[in-house]
Amino acid sequence: MSAMAGPAGGTEDRATPRAGVQRVAVVGLGRAGVAHCVMLSHVPGCELVAIVDPRGPARQALRGMGFGVPAFGRVERMLEKLRPDAVVVCTAQHERARVAEIVIGSGIPVLLERPMARTLEEAEALVRLAAARRVAFAVGHPLAFEPVFARVHELVHGGALGTVHHARSAMFVSRVFAPRPRRGPGRLDPRRVAGGVVAHLGSDLLFVLVRMLGAPAEVRAEQSLLYGAVEDELHAMMTLPGGAEVGFDCSWSVPGYVRASTVIELDGADGKLLASDEALEVDLHRPAAGFAAGYSRVHDADFPAPARFDFGGETLWSHDAAFLDWLAGGPAPPNEAGAALAAHRVMDALYRSAAAGGRPMQVAR
Amino acid sequence: MKTTFVVPRLLLSARALDGVTRVTRERLLEIQTRFHEPESLAVTLVKSLDAGAAGVFGSPSPALRTALAELTRVVPVYAVLPALSPQDYRMLEPGVEPLIARARRDAGPAARLRMGVTGLLRLSVLRHGDFAARVPVLLEAGARLLPRRGVAGIVLPAPLTDAALAGEHRRFFETLPRFVRARFHAAAGLETRNPGLLLARLREWGVAPDFVLGPVNPRGLGMKPRPAETLAELARARGGPAGAGIPFLATELRAGGLCTLAEGAHYALEHGAHGLAPDLAEMDEVAVELRGVKTMLGDGT
Repeated sequence: MSAMAGPAGGTEDRATPRAGVQRVAVVGLGRAGVAHCVMLSHVPGCELVAIVDPRGPARQALRGMGFGVPAFGRVERMLEKLRPDAVVVCTAQHERARVAEIVIGSGIPVLLERPMARTLEEAEALVRLAAARRVAFAVGHPLAFEPVFARVHELVHGGALGTVHHARSAMFVSRVFAPRPRRGPGRLDPRRVAGGVVAHLGSDLLFVLVRMLGAPAEVRAEQSLLYGAVEDELHAMMTLPGGAEVGFDCSWSVPGYVRASTVIELDGADGKLLASDEALEVDLHRPAAGFAAGYSRVHDADFPAPARFDFGGETLWSHDAAFLDWLAGGPAPPNEAGAALAAHRVMDALYRSAAAGGRPMQVAR
Repeated sequence: MKTTFVVPRLLLSARALDGVTRVTRERLLEIQTRFHEPESLAVTLVKSLDAGAAGVFGSPSPALRTALAELTRVVPVYAVLPALSPQDYRMLEPGVEPLIARARRDAGPAARLRMGVTGLLRLSVLRHGDFAARVPVLLEAGARLLPRRGVAGIVLPAPLTDAALAGEHRRFFETLPRFVRARFHAAAGLETRNPGLLLARLREWGVAPDFVLGPVNPRGLGMKPRPAETLAELARARGGPAGAGIPFLATELRAGGLCTLAEGAHYALEHGAHGLAPDLAEMDEVAVELRGVKTMLGDGT
């Protein structure tokens, strides 16, 4: 049995019946990979069966935490020895497409860390391959499972705000205050990563926006490179096909944000909304979606907290559980690769615009 | 023979100064600004002791160390080691080795020597990455940050406790309390964000640290894996066979601000918590509110 988000205010499990245990391997044991190992170990019905990383110390670090699963240096070797039911791929960005291609090519479902590839071409090729092989493929976007932002999505799609004509959004964290590389040679080498703060952090917010409001037709972006060859800040305005404007600000070089902080503000024909990691505030012209007309505020702690484990946050548990539920016959999660690709196309347009000094760029369709 | 330590029933948590308390960003910044001057924190510590707190729980950060140094009065400290911020954990690669490497860089020759000896005794060079062998080396590195007087407990922070809990590293949980008691002559505590699960595993393994700290509140916030399971384990921890119970100190009593401190304290005690550790960020009038909580404990501690 697995568990997904229950009803608002509740913590009940919603199970998708399982034939048996789901055996999952994790490839890439950086911070994200370890977090997935931890969470998967606590999703009921899931068994972590293998870990893969070419770096001996990374494998050693996980074993040192007590994980006694078989460890491999190469994904090919792991696939020869085992045939897991799913593979979570968290390798370095320049390796992601190659590793995901191998696993999808073997017919095994993949949950791939974001961004799904270093380039848009690689991302599109992966989605085509998964479709051709009819393999379940999702991309890591835990923000979509954050209860506050999941509720915002419901409100917008349920029409509570009416037509959204203006949106602003921001994601900040205090992380980069020094020249790079900070960890390992070439960690933020533009030849090895899709980008800076947007690729690493802001793409999660971008995914939530694109899924909620649709893909913009055109974007304009400006970036600041404070410490290296990739952007530390990016400010963008995106225009939806209907003409609505969506602001997007992202930085990992602002003080005072020990924890990543996300804000979305929406102005609609029937009301306004302000959502953050801490609360959801709505001001509606008429009652809708369980909210009375006028101003309402819901504290983040009032939202359901279905995760069975907390490891510096609990959203990743819901995220991984939803992927496994999909494999067990449940609904496709919001972060299935087709939806993630739409966000990746927007990210690509943002980078093209920023590189061109803020010139408007069309988003690929 | 196991030395027994008196486990406090009321601690002032200064974890907000470490940036880990579950409150709004504005509240966290407000508290950090309010106690930026060591004198203001020192005054609060003294008032807390006068109000009935048995000590302070937090990492030996420069702010806390300077405040303690301001005082002639000894303040019992339940120190979180290693002393790392959420940002530190985010910036470093997973596992214990990057933490040790960083600690070694920051340590002086004497601390490095002690780290070497601690490591040698556990053959830790041959057990790289293993929490059981390497966390003691890390704690040794943090020893230089501890105040000279008043160290009453050493608490492993939640990110490390929960990493070992996820890996079900029984040997680590067996050996760590022994090391802490022998090396620091202090109680060995574990901070967790998964209280129900940790208590269950410790019970199954027959492992008993001196105390455990974790969230308990009427809204069930942070009571992993489920509030009901956590409450059941709390009841077992309180009512287990003689000597087998694990004293549990409840944190996050206000559920991020959804209930009052009095409600949270009452709930936690009613469900089997041995004691309470309300946080600076959960109180406006620290001395007054601690005094109120102290009356609920109804004992002379």
